[in-house]
Amino acid sequence: MKFTIIKDLNQDTMMKPILSGLFFFTLLYILSDFFVKYNSFGLFPHAIHLSLFGNEEEFLNPINEASFLEFWHVEIFFIMMIVFTLSTVYIRLSQASRSAIVVVNIIMLSAITSLISLVFSYYFSSNFINIYVVTFFTWHILALFSSLYSLKKLYYA
Amino acid sequence: MHKAYKISILYLSLFTLLLLVSGYMIFELKIGFEAQRALSYYMGDKEIFTVAKSNSGILKLALPHIFGFALLSMVVLHFLIFTKFRNRVFVKVILYTILTAQFFEIFSPFLIINISEIFIYLKILSFFIYIGLIPIVLYLLFDSIAQIKFR
Repeated sequence: MKFTIIKDLNQDTMMKPILSGLFFFTLLYILSDFFVKYNSFGLFPHAIHLSLFGNEEEFLNPINEASFLEFWHVEIFFIMMIVFTLSTVYIRLSQASRSAIVVVNIIMLSAITSLISLVFSYYFSSNFINIYVVTFFTWHILALFSSLYSLKKLYYA
Repeated sequence: MHKAYKISILYLSLFTLLLLVSGYMIFELKIGFEAQRALSYYMGDKEIFTVAKSNSGILKLALPHIFGFALLSMVVLHFLIFTKFRNRVFVKVILYTILTAQFFEIFSPFLIINISEIFIYLKILSFFIYIGLIPIVLYLLFDSIAQIKFR
């Protein structure tokens, strides 16, 4: 949280490359997450449905409960650390503008909703998969935007 | 601290609660809260065809948790500095209890399989202490955040 008390982040020779690194690797994480999800758990409703519930006709087994909960547990941890770190730096670099606060709220709410709808999809109704997909893309795209915007603020403000 | 950071801290609290809920569900499903069931998870059970856990198996499971617990505790607990409770004795008691509980939550399985089965109670107790105290810390943060005058 040191960056919250440094006055001119884009003039600070230490914090500027550190934060640049954070945004660069956050971008890499988010982009990689798309590819990893696409090739494993699924990125779109049909593929996620197959992962969660399997398909007898195609001889695909559903994910077992323990594996699902472990996947969910790890997702919560990573997502919370990413969106929390990203949002605090983004708020700082955008001088806590109204639009930045709106973006942060949407990122946070969509990330939490994606996690909750994922567990609801597994235990209650597969209809929640659609909510999961929409909120998953929402927070990923906005996290990409806020990372790029923060990089722009660091170098071109 | 700027008013806008309140948002991030409040959302962080929600994520933390979600993480605790998922941890509770995994513990309940895989290990169980009854001593006998939890013991069979670590010591194996012929009737349900499970084998005893080994030191390396437990270490493999402990490894991500050592980092995860440390990071989560640091992130959540360091916000207590900004609260009106920062110099209160009970906060320090909570802080040290959480750190001790997380240590035993991670490492008590080694005591169970190497020293005595009695440590199963330490495992279950430390888990409940941890997931019981973190929400109290979150409440203290919430209570203070609502009253702090921000820029």
